[in-house]
Amino acid sequence: MSLDIIIELEDLAKYYTVGGEVIRALDGVNLQVGRGEYLSIVGPSGSGKTTLFNLIGGLDRPTRGRVYIDGVDISRLDAYELAWLRCRKIGYIFQTFNLIPVLTALENVALPTIFAGVPRDEGLRRAEKLLRSVGLGDRLHHRPSELSAGQQQRVAIARAMANDPAIILADEPTGNLDLNTGMEIISLLQGLNRTRGMTLISATHDLKMIKASDRVVYIRDGRIERIERG
Amino acid sequence: MAGSPGRSAIIVASIALSISLFVALYSLDAFQQALGFPGALSTRSYQYWMMVVALTVSTVCVMNTMMIAVYERYREIGTMKCLGALDRHILMLFLSESIIEGFIGGLAGLAFGLSLTSIYIGITSGPGSLLRVPGDRILALSLGSVLLSVALTLGGALYPAYRASRLPPVEALRFEP
Repeated sequence: MSLDIIIELEDLAKYYTVGGEVIRALDGVNLQVGRGEYLSIVGPSGSGKTTLFNLIGGLDRPTRGRVYIDGVDISRLDAYELAWLRCRKIGYIFQTFNLIPVLTALENVALPTIFAGVPRDEGLRRAEKLLRSVGLGDRLHHRPSELSAGQQQRVAIARAMANDPAIILADEPTGNLDLNTGMEIISLLQGLNRTRGMTLISATHDLKMIKASDRVVYIRDGRIERIERG
Repeated sequence: MAGSPGRSAIIVASIALSISLFVALYSLDAFQQALGFPGALSTRSYQYWMMVVALTVSTVCVMNTMMIAVYERYREIGTMKCLGALDRHILMLFLSESIIEGFIGGLAGLAFGLSLTSIYIGITSGPGSLLRVPGDRILALSLGSVLLSVALTLGGALYPAYRASRLPPVEALRFEP
């Protein structure tokens, strides 16, 4: 495996059995993602995008095949090591933001640093810096319900970066946002990808996101249909 | 961090009510003995049963409320696991919440129980008899009741917290209430 490949998927498959019927959510996916690459994954709903994200993110185990992250086969990791991976290597951004409603923006962003064992003061300092970098320096102590959708997604982006991960997985990050706010989020993510060299994988239907990416992977019925340059 | 304020209030109220019965009976017993009467508890042993039943019912109520709270917070648990939380982080989150709820419930129950006893003694034996407070027994009762409250709430929270900590992240994230 060459050094600049950060993620490699090898014959990756995930089957579910629902009511006696086997559903092939993913069925033999092979893919290499370079370090610092911006990849968009496009496909109709039910095509296997979320399953693919769950497997790359170490949230689920494959039925067949392997996921290598930095050369490590993560299907061999135990629950503790997978949590370590999710905490330090991977940042998640959800379509529905998934902020903790009772926590302020600052506390939400500092949350992953608690899981990483970072001292509280250092975690809060880091969170403040990240919130300022996404343009929310004046919203530190607001709760999610006091923020607009776009601001909430900015908080979620800052949270995803809290432990300085190498990979950001964004599951339809602009799916719940209007056109202009979506554009702001896209340029924010693109900026992070360029300036920090984070590998960005984004599931999307958004044409603007697709245009901004280095490569576009089209997925259908659990298989890669084609890969295009962005 | 705290869960739904409504659920926490139910837990606090439930434990406070049973602790107030516990405190009222024991403090009444202590006052009556200090005033030279046979104590309420020493003459009527069925009251112990009432107390045990009340404490058991409130612990079951804590457990039930906590199970619902965990159910309501599936996505939150899934999100935290996604961000790298270990099982023990989730376990500690729910247990520490229950300790705080148990402590507040214990204090509220103590205040309510002591007030009831004071009113009863004031009415039946005259306000002057309230000055003959059996200090050491009331102090021991105060400490004991808050500790008991925390222990019972923690006991009721153990199983729901364990269930929450063991939730597979994918399942918890997929969940829509």
